Amino acid sequence: MTVIEAHNIRKSYGSLEVLHDVDLSVEEGEILGLIGPSGSGKSTLLRLLDLIEPANAGELSVFGIDTVADHGTWLDLRRRMGMLFQRPIVFNSSVYDNVAMGLRYRRAPGDNIDRKVKEALEAVGLSRYIKSRAIDLSGGEQQRVALSRVLVTDPEILFLDEPTANLDPTSTATIEAIVTRLNREAGMTVLISTHDLAQGQRLADRVGVMIAGTIAQTGPSREIFREPKNQQIARFVGVQNIIPARVVSRRGDFTVVEAREKEILSATPPPAEEVEMVVRGEDISLHRRKPGYEEAENLFPATVTAIEPTAPFVNVTVHCGCDLVALVTARRAEALGLHEGMEVWVSLQAKAVHLIPRAER
Amino acid sequence: MKTNATHLAAGIIAILLILALSAGCTSPAPGENETPGAGATTAPAGGGDILRIATTTSLENTGLLAELERVYEGETGMDLQFIAQGTGQSIDSGRRGDVDLVLVHAPDLEQQFVDDGLGINPRCIAYNYYIIVGPESDPAGIANMTPVEAFRTLYEAGTNETAGVAFVSRGDNSGTHNQEQVLWEQAGYDYDTEILNAGGWYVEAGKGMGDTLILANEQQAYTLSDEGTYLSFADRLDLVPVVAEGTELMNRYSAIAVNPEEHPGVNAEGAADFINWLTTNETKEMIGEFGTEEFGKPLFVPLYAPECTEPPFNCTCAEPVTA
Amino acid sequence: MVNGNPIIEGFIEAIELIITLDPQVVEITIRSLYVSLTATFFAALIALPLGALIYFYEFRGKHAVVSTLQTLYALPTVIVGLIVFLLLSNVGPFGFLRFLYTPGGMIVAQTVLIIPLLMGLTVSALSGIDRDKRYTITALGASRLQTVMTIIAEARFAVMSGVLLGFGRAIAEVGTVMIVGGNIRGATRVLTTAIALNTSMANYSLSIALGIILLAVALGVNIALSLVQRR
Repeated sequence: MTVIEAHNIRKSYGSLEVLHDVDLSVEEGEILGLIGPSGSGKSTLLRLLDLIEPANAGELSVFGIDTVADHGTWLDLRRRMGMLFQRPIVFNSSVYDNVAMGLRYRRAPGDNIDRKVKEALEAVGLSRYIKSRAIDLSGGEQQRVALSRVLVTDPEILFLDEPTANLDPTSTATIEAIVTRLNREAGMTVLISTHDLAQGQRLADRVGVMIAGTIAQTGPSREIFREPKNQQIARFVGVQNIIPARVVSRRGDFTVVEAREKEILSATPPPAEEVEMVVRGEDISLHRRKPGYEEAENLFPATVTAIEPTAPFVNVTVHCGCDLVALVTARRAEALGLHEGMEVWVSLQAKAVHLIPRAER
Repeated sequence: MKTNATHLAAGIIAILLILALSAGCTSPAPGENETPGAGATTAPAGGGDILRIATTTSLENTGLLAELERVYEGETGMDLQFIAQGTGQSIDSGRRGDVDLVLVHAPDLEQQFVDDGLGINPRCIAYNYYIIVGPESDPAGIANMTPVEAFRTLYEAGTNETAGVAFVSRGDNSGTHNQEQVLWEQAGYDYDTEILNAGGWYVEAGKGMGDTLILANEQQAYTLSDEGTYLSFADRLDLVPVVAEGTELMNRYSAIAVNPEEHPGVNAEGAADFINWLTTNETKEMIGEFGTEEFGKPLFVPLYAPECTEPPFNCTCAEPVTA
Repeated sequence: MVNGNPIIEGFIEAIELIITLDPQVVEITIRSLYVSLTATFFAALIALPLGALIYFYEFRGKHAVVSTLQTLYALPTVIVGLIVFLLLSNVGPFGFLRFLYTPGGMIVAQTVLIIPLLMGLTVSALSGIDRDKRYTITALGASRLQTVMTIIAEARFAVMSGVLLGFGRAIAEVGTVMIVGGNIRGATRVLTTAIALNTSMANYSLSIALGIILLAVALGVNIALSLVQRR
């Protein structure tokens, strides 16, 4: 069942357009990750979907109910959802009162509140602070209070707006574990925005990339990372090599492109004549001498021109007509005895070479 | 938010308790003051229990009013409230009906107040003399002159910029200020055109008598003061009386009730009772002795009939009044 | 000055007056507290809901209203005194109340004086609740009324600071109480007007004693303020 269906959503603050042409649908029980650079509109989109503020235009239905025509349903719908914000927000009262807020708004019976609050604080490991003032806690603890405050209301959809940015690794792990468990065990639908690609990959079944106020691509995270639709997405998902090339021919199932007079095979059908090759650094293998047996369709010699450590990896730039950046583990770099000016062999599978139409300039 | 509400409620209760306590402590004053008007209209015999009197700073500063208040409140239980203003302002307060009675010393203004129908039952109570005080060195050389001569000499010395000659005026439309203006006119000057623009030697204080004396003392200047205030401040002043003789310097104090037909809210009964009390021989004796102990001589001379009906007083001082 | 140093003598006498709980000093102090606390209470009663209304409702000219309020923080006390005097005078529109020269009139004047301050500070206290907190409240499923109540509860310490500041301004001012109260001994004489009068009568010891008490009250307000603001 589709729990959120959004079409052509537009939102501006004064003359500043924050969102435009946003289409999104969210299935019950999935974890959808929203990734994108800062300022791309992720937080605003989550607020619109959680019915905290209205869009300027577009269609939005939540739980199958059209929310544009009738604002009267908003409070009820909102009470079936919950949202955790990037900055830990706690109110100037006890931890207990903080966590009880949502239940009190819903006029839950007192003993019910008491039981749920205690359970929730147990779950995030903050039982001993139940009577403390919430603002005296650390940032990570405050965020866990905020999470329990959302969870006691049993939301069917949980929105997480960069929930672990600026948090220590322990608090991050606690929060991620709780979210994953709720999704698996209770079937809670989760929308999480993050600029941490690894977190997106780790948690999400499906990822949406937001660029400049709209959702540029959605799909399984593997697809987003290997086959970005355009250069902006490719850059955002951390592709090291985006190289202009020209389609010259087809050879069997492969497309032959030429970049700086070097022919390279790609498994992508040609999207245009002028293209860009998108190659992730970790898909490029380096060898000391020409491998005897190699499955990779592309195999050619090159010269190492730069070595840049980014622990636990090393970015190695090689020159082979065009510059390529390969990502190798530090251990492998040592084993290869890489140094600048060294001659190496490069192998690259055709399916690791993704082609996108060249961006117009 | 349950505990928040509890905190707020606790805070409000605390504030209310403090208010209640302080209200309780001060109940003799503010408690009774809540409905002075109602008291005045509903209790015909006593005419209310508060009597508001606009009076001059010179009377307030001598301490006579505090003494009168103590004795009268002890005898009658009436709460006398003195508002010390200049005579002009006091009479204006009476004209508006903001007070029940005025106790002032400016015969011209008083006469107008009565003629306009706003003041009734004027009774003169006592008098003393204004004195021209100044530095002992007397730089203008006015000692032993008549008051009018003295003022003329002061003007000449001032406008000639004789060293050390300055005059501090009350400048507040008080009775003393009025008297000063009369003296300038008698000396042949137009107050508004000639005196006010006479130069730096003429200083307007815009304050009560005590303040003006202290200011004149700081500047070693001449000023016109009522004798009572001067005597009660004398121990803090270097200034000495320079001119103290002359009928022009006579300073007469009167009580005038506010006409209840013009201002129905005023405490007319109380005003009449107080005026009658002021004009009894016992009260006049008390006024006539006031200050002897402290200053070595009385500050005021009470007026008795028939002396008061004759020049230079020409006023009523004995006939009882009715509300 | 004729006998010795009046300031040092005044100081010594002042301490005596305070230690022996001189009835005049006690009476004036209690009246000051009574008048200003009552005025603060009524001003808060009026200004806090009005301030909240301004904050929560969007209307044309809201900015102008808020900046007008902020200008009125510095409203000269004598102007308020003059206006209230004219209103309460027997010939004024509220003369029938017979409030002029009574503690009631002084309470009215001080209430008027600090209402803009309390309203403005209430608005800024509520504005101090940041956007993310408001989003959080909405996201937790608060109704409109619940949102308002939560924001007010959250701003309670900032609002309380505003009320304390208002009280501080009320008890320290002399302009309105002098004009509207008339400085009547035993009825409307408060700390500030008593200091003014006794200084003009060169009665420095009483002035100094009352001044010390006024300073102590101001200090107390400041301590309370810092306690509140630390929360």
